[in-house]
Amino acid sequence: MTAPVLELRDLVVRAGGRTILAVPRLALGGATTTAVLGPNGSGKSTLLRAAAALLTPERGAVLIDGVPAARADVRAATAAVLQRPLLRRASVRANVESGLRFRGVARGERRRRGQAWLDRLGIAALAERSAQRLSGGEAQRVSLARAFAVAPRVLLLDEPFSALDAPTRGELLADLREALAATGTAALLVTHDRHEAAAVADRVAILHAGELRQEGPASEVLDHPVDADCARILGFHNVLPGRLLGVAADHVAVPAGACGLTGPDGLRLTARLVRVIPLGPVWRVVLEADGRTLLANVPEAPPAELAPGDEIELRVDPAAVRAL
Amino acid sequence: MLGDAFGEAIRLLTSGDSDTWEIIARSLVISLTATAIAFSLGVPLGMLLAFGRFPARRAAHAAINTGMGMPPVVVGLILTVLLWRAGPLGGLELLYTPVAMVLAQAVIALPLVAGISTAALSQVDPDFRIQMEALGASRARALWTVVVEARLPLLAAVMAGFGAVISEVGAAMMVGGNIAGQTRVLTTAAVLETSRGNFALAIALGLILLVLAFVVNAVLTAAQHRGRA
Repeated sequence: MTAPVLELRDLVVRAGGRTILAVPRLALGGATTTAVLGPNGSGKSTLLRAAAALLTPERGAVLIDGVPAARADVRAATAAVLQRPLLRRASVRANVESGLRFRGVARGERRRRGQAWLDRLGIAALAERSAQRLSGGEAQRVSLARAFAVAPRVLLLDEPFSALDAPTRGELLADLREALAATGTAALLVTHDRHEAAAVADRVAILHAGELRQEGPASEVLDHPVDADCARILGFHNVLPGRLLGVAADHVAVPAGACGLTGPDGLRLTARLVRVIPLGPVWRVVLEADGRTLLANVPEAPPAELAPGDEIELRVDPAAVRAL
Repeated sequence: MLGDAFGEAIRLLTSGDSDTWEIIARSLVISLTATAIAFSLGVPLGMLLAFGRFPARRAAHAAINTGMGMPPVVVGLILTVLLWRAGPLGGLELLYTPVAMVLAQAVIALPLVAGISTAALSQVDPDFRIQMEALGASRARALWTVVVEARLPLLAAVMAGFGAVISEVGAAMMVGGNIAGQTRVLTTAAVLETSRGNFALAIALGLILLVLAFVVNAVLTAAQHRGRA
C-alpha cells in the first residue's frame, strides 16, 4: 500500500495552556476530498493550519509520502485557501500568478499556468482588472485559481465559501469538485456545513472540541454518527434514550425532519408542546419529553388549537433512527 | 508688501540668483537625505512594532508615539550637547556641518515614519501574511508582500517625514549654525532675513519653501493615485 501524500500523526496543538487540537491520525491523498466537519471553535482552522505547517504543534508530525517532513517540504506539497479571499493590491492575473512567483516559476510558465486557471474558473475576462474591485464570489474564484495554479499535491480549504450567498456557493462548489476531479488533487475542506461536506467530500472527519471523533467514507459517516456530539453536528437534532422510543439501544439520534405530528404508524413518543417556530418552508415544533428538548420539523402548520403544555403524540420514522 | 515679496521671489528664482538656488539645493539635499535615512530605519522599525512579539513592544510603541510629537528644538539641543567640542561626540567635529543637520532631521523624522509605518502595516489583514506563506512564500517574502500591500500609507509616512524636516528651523539653526554657503537652508535664511528687516526677501524664501513642499507632495500624491488605480 502506498503512503498517503499528507498525513497528520499524533498531532497536539496547545494555546493558552490548553489543548485546542488532538488528532491521532488523519491521512490525505489519492485524489480524495476529505471534509473536516465541526462547529465554530472546534479546532477546524487550527487543523488546517497545522496541515499546512503554518503553525508549530506542541507535538506530533506532518508526514509527506510517509516521511516526517520539514516546514518547507509541507509548504511545497500544499496550497491553502483561507476563509476570506486575501488578494493582493494588484491585477487579478498577478494575484493568480503570485503563488507561482513565490515558488520561482519562470515568467512564461507562470503566464501559461495562470491563464489556464483563469480560463478554467471562468475569470479570464477579469484578468486585467484590479483585484480590489471584485464581488465576493469573483474574489474567491481568484483565490481558488491562485491555489490551483501552483498544482499542489494537497489543496487545503478553510471554509472558503462560508461568506457567499447560496447560489454563488453552489456554483463554486460544483466548479471546485470538477477541478479537483480533473486534476486528481487531494483536498482537505474544513467546513461547519454538512451539506457542503456531502456535496464535495469522499471522506468526512468530525471534529468536536479539538478532538477527532469520527472519520470514514462520507456516506457512512454522514448517516451514522458514533456519539451524541457527532449526531448534533450531522443534523440529528434529537438525541434521546432508546427506551423512550422502545428501541433496544442506550441512546438514539433522530433528525428533526424524521419527526412529525401525523404520519404512518412508526415509533411513537408522547411529548409536551413548548412552542412552534415558523422557519419558512417548514415549521419547527419544539417539544419536551422526559426532561429533554425535542425538535420536529413539519411541512404543514400544526393545528392552531394546540397550546404550549398540550400533550402530543410524536411520530418518528423508524428508518431515520440511529443507535449511538 | 506681499505683492513686492512675490515679485522679489519670482525675480530671485528666474534671474538664477546663485545664492538662492544654492540654498534651495542644500535644503533639498539635507531634507531628502534625512527622510531617506528615516524611511530606511523607520519601516523596519514599524515592521518590528506591527508584527514583532517582544516584551517591551508596548513601551516601544509608546516611545515612538511620544517621539512623533518631540519638539525639534529639544532634538537640536541634545545633538548640540553631544556634538559640542567637549561633548562625548565632539571628536567627530560635526557641529555646524550639513551632516549634523541631516542627523538632526533624521532623528526628528524617524519617529514619524516609524509611527505611521506601524499603523500602515497593522492595517493589512493579519491573515494576509499567513495566506502568502500558505501559497509558498518564505517568511521574509511574505513580510515583503505586506510592505508592498501597504505601499500607499507608507508613502504617507514619507510625506509626513519630509514635510516635518523641510519646514523645521530650530534644530537646523542649532546644529547647523546658519553659516552662509555652508549650512544655510531656506528656513534659517528666512529667519535671518526677517531679523534683518528684509521682509520681502524673507517672504520670498517662505514662498519658495511652500512651493517646494507642494511640489514634493504633489509628486508623492500622484504616485499614490497611480498605485491605487
